[in-house]
Amino acid sequence: MAHEIDPKLVEEFLSFTRNVAEAPKLVPAPNEINLESSQFDVAYEEDKVRLLHFRPTTSSKVKTPLIISYAIINRYHILDIQPEKSWVRKLLEGGIDVYMIDWGNPSNIDKYLDFDDYVNTYMENCVDFVRKEADAKSISLQGYCTGGTISTIYAALHPQKVRNLVATAPVIDGWKDTTVVSNMARHIDVDRMVDTIGNMPPEFMYYCFSILKPFEQGLEKYYKFFKNIHNEKFVDSFLRVEKWLSETPPIPGELFKQWIKNIYQENLLIQNKMYVGGKQVDLKRISMPVFIQVAVGDHLVSPECSMPLHYAVASQDKTLRIYPTGHVGMIASSYSQKHILPELCQWLAER
Amino acid sequence: MSQDIKQPVDNFKHVSLFWTDLLHLISGKPVSLTSVGPTRNWVNDMKKITTEVIDSYENLIEFNQRLTEYYKQLTETWIEAQKKVNAKVPSIPQDSESLEAYKRVWIDIFENDFTGLFDSEKFAQNYGSLVSAELELTKRWENITNVLFQSLRLPTRKEIDEVYKELHELRKRVKKLEKREHQQDGA
Repeated sequence: MAHEIDPKLVEEFLSFTRNVAEAPKLVPAPNEINLESSQFDVAYEEDKVRLLHFRPTTSSKVKTPLIISYAIINRYHILDIQPEKSWVRKLLEGGIDVYMIDWGNPSNIDKYLDFDDYVNTYMENCVDFVRKEADAKSISLQGYCTGGTISTIYAALHPQKVRNLVATAPVIDGWKDTTVVSNMARHIDVDRMVDTIGNMPPEFMYYCFSILKPFEQGLEKYYKFFKNIHNEKFVDSFLRVEKWLSETPPIPGELFKQWIKNIYQENLLIQNKMYVGGKQVDLKRISMPVFIQVAVGDHLVSPECSMPLHYAVASQDKTLRIYPTGHVGMIASSYSQKHILPELCQWLAER
Repeated sequence: MSQDIKQPVDNFKHVSLFWTDLLHLISGKPVSLTSVGPTRNWVNDMKKITTEVIDSYENLIEFNQRLTEYYKQLTETWIEAQKKVNAKVPSIPQDSESLEAYKRVWIDIFENDFTGLFDSEKFAQNYGSLVSAELELTKRWENITNVLFQSLRLPTRKEIDEVYKELHELRKRVKKLEKREHQQDGA
């Protein structure tokens, strides 16, 4: 007896192939998409680093300006990826004066940039610029992912200039990190790597991304993309994130070396044994209000890696929030718009 | 590298280097007579390149071993995951949703098993060694190109690195001086 194929399956297969064929007519190529959503001015520039000042959309409600330190992996665009999921836009709507550090695209000449340059030169100069421009003694500082680590180190070394510290999925305790990234980082001969290839190439990061969720992220998401090709909102959001993911700049060799050794291999930061620019980074010097945001489903920086910051600082006013989302979901999702950002805006407004 | 492979490689390296060195010594004087000026370096350069190529065999063997282990780990995990999927198939309801259900089961099991592999010590160790072996090969290639660059009186990678380092330190010094000057002007 001949085996009958379910007509629904045939219809689904035909519909899927139609979608694949129609895709180029319906959606732009990732290269044709502009990732910038909110308007900004470049307030300050130094080497390849830019300090972006976002134009206000409402009257000011929070006196202290906020500087966001984006991560050193990928670019800052994810924080302003599209209007309805924009982290920046929501903060602006909350009446917060928002600045963002764009670390730029390091090239071979930047191979010797290290933590000292990022913390004590670039971030320090950005903070001083904003303090002067806003006529403020101190600023609020938010860091995301590796930017959270840089911000934490800055707050420990220059506590008088930071009024509030917000650490969003910061990489703090490398030994407690349970992600695939930390497993790889612990087994890499980083001296040999930097000595041989200089800056850490984006391809290395792409490999790390590819093994995080190889089947869900590698196959299923593209299947969903073609299946939803007529859903304009879905497609727009998908392509923006894809473009963002594919634009990872290299990481300066010396910074990468210190990063892997000090954070993942020797775990010096949480033990207060890390030195930046010849100065010891003592987390107990952080006594300003601290807000730590972590995500349960974070597969890049596990909550166990970020949470120790809460217990390491000397601050009396400290808040730890654990959200049921992922690493990117925490900053660019409907969930973050509804739950995370209103909480952050309120926290900043109260201080 | 295992001992049974290391010994023939060492022998091969020794024999190759013996003949390269000896030929270099024998041909050194006559070749010197026929080459004049900067081209006299040619023989020396060729020796350096040959030595790098011979030395790279060891790295190539190490790289291939690690790469084989890498694919072995991936293949074994794939086979095990597929076995689990096959065992689960009879429990998937045979209706119009079965294909979607099968896909979900397949992805869940594969994701779980491969994440387990990538999280494991054995994977990370082999991966680290694989990358190191690849870097050693890259270094050999860099050494060969450095010989060629030097013969053309072009800066080598090491020399460019020195320039980058010098530039980095200069930039730092200039920034410090500018800041100090700025602070003095403000005071």
